[in-house]
Amino acid sequence: MAVIFLVEDDQKIRTELTKLLKKYGYECDSSDDFANIVEIILKRKPQLVLLDLNLPVCDGFCICRELRRRSHIPIIVVTSRDSETDELVSMDLGADDFITKPYNTQILLAHITAVLKRTNPQKVPGTVNYRGLEVDFAKSSANGPEGSTELTKNELKILGLFFSARGRIVTRDEIMNTLWQSDEFVDDNTLTVNINRLRRKLESIGVRDYLVTKRGQGYRI
Amino acid sequence: MKLKAFLWDHISSLTASVLAAVFAFEFLCALCNEVYAGAYLAAIILLAEAVALTLEYLKKRGFYRSVTQSLDKLDKKYLLAEVLKEPSFEEGKLLYEALRESEKSMNDEIAKYRQKSQEYREYIETWVHEIKTPISASRLILENNPGEISSGLEEEIDKIGDFVEQALFYSRSESVEKDYLIRETTLHKLVASALKKHASLLIGAKAAVHADGLDRTVFTDIKWTDFILGQLLANSVKYRNGPLRIRFFGEELKNGCALTVSDNGIGIPEQDLPRVFDKGFTGENGRRGAKSTGLGLYLCKKLCNKMGLGLSICSKPGAGTAITIIFPKSNMTASLTKL
Repeated sequence: MAVIFLVEDDQKIRTELTKLLKKYGYECDSSDDFANIVEIILKRKPQLVLLDLNLPVCDGFCICRELRRRSHIPIIVVTSRDSETDELVSMDLGADDFITKPYNTQILLAHITAVLKRTNPQKVPGTVNYRGLEVDFAKSSANGPEGSTELTKNELKILGLFFSARGRIVTRDEIMNTLWQSDEFVDDNTLTVNINRLRRKLESIGVRDYLVTKRGQGYRI
Repeated sequence: MKLKAFLWDHISSLTASVLAAVFAFEFLCALCNEVYAGAYLAAIILLAEAVALTLEYLKKRGFYRSVTQSLDKLDKKYLLAEVLKEPSFEEGKLLYEALRESEKSMNDEIAKYRQKSQEYREYIETWVHEIKTPISASRLILENNPGEISSGLEEEIDKIGDFVEQALFYSRSESVEKDYLIRETTLHKLVASALKKHASLLIGAKAAVHADGLDRTVFTDIKWTDFILGQLLANSVKYRNGPLRIRFFGEELKNGCALTVSDNGIGIPEQDLPRVFDKGFTGENGRRGAKSTGLGLYLCKKLCNKMGLGLSICSKPGAGTAITIIFPKSNMTASLTKL
């Protein structure tokens, strides 16, 4: 499981972000000791650093420079200063990605997965098993009791979302938002088609009644 | 300076010379009965006056003509003293000095206000920056506590976020400094980023999005363009008419590239169309229901103007609205394609 280190001075954001990322299967770590933050990060060896720019003691740029000088930990800069120069400076200092506050959590998650996939392919779960269905995210295929089937990019994304939701009801809007964040701007009808096709595929490999419709709310696995 | 007005101004000296001439003539006639001597002296007096007045007229005309002409040509009239040559006559010197003084005080005043507006702008930037932290925190809290109340509040928080962003761009659009950064990007990247950012809003409105011909390189400030596209999308959602369809269409022009964002919304009445980019203009649609500030399109236009992009609109009530952003081909693009 990937560990994400949060460099953020706002206590509230830290706790809430930790809760949110836990829900999506990440471990979180953080510290209040901003004077020695670089040392602490290097000691804890996270897989990813979420770095705020506006910090006490020394600013994010200097932490970013110092971290990059001493390690290859992927860094996503998260800031409320949304100017092009900040982004350019961050990238120049070796940050892997840049997001501005207030962020849509789906965007944040999409960026985290993208960076982790690029820098830490082994930490992104290859195959996931849940209630008799095994999904191989690397090969984009699904295995059931009666065989296996290929999955499209959208189907993979949808199943990924259901897996990270772990039994929670997922709304149609939430599914669409996740698809939109990976450049698939589907509309309501396309989503219905996608879901139905996915159901038929799962049935064909012997996984029946997997996506349960919750009338007026969404779906659950 | 008109000759008549000039003479009228010197009426006392003219009258005095005429009186002196008449008096001299009368005096000489009475004294030695010499009509010619009298006429001669009177003529000399009048001639001397005429020569003096003509010389003065020419001198003053030169100076005041340069005053009026420079005033016509000048964009900032208060800088008049800057372009004038110091005149050689006393009256002119006084005026010149007065103009210089007032120009200096005007410059000081402008500097004071520029400073104040700069400080205010910096305050707005900091404020926007500060407020984003509690907004982010609120969003995360709501996200972690899903439910009916949360989703309702989430929508409101999104609105607050949009208003805050508008305030930021308003202050940026007013600033005299050039604080944008033109970079290379593609229409596809710009559109995708705006769609992702406004995903919740568009999905909530059941929007169907189509895109065509976005595989084109353009040069623009990415953040500013993102804001502009965001405003257009927000308008499409706000003024929708049944199931929303949004189409992005990119095409190559002779001197650039055009991105058209069209929707199937309620459209804009013809009489309102020429004024939609005016500040504070809300028009028929604004009055009819949807809350309109009259700022969105105004800001879009202003930001486009600053970056040198074109922005045009066409609309048909009941059919929809299409907005086109024109990205000019810069010299940089030209030299790049040559390489």
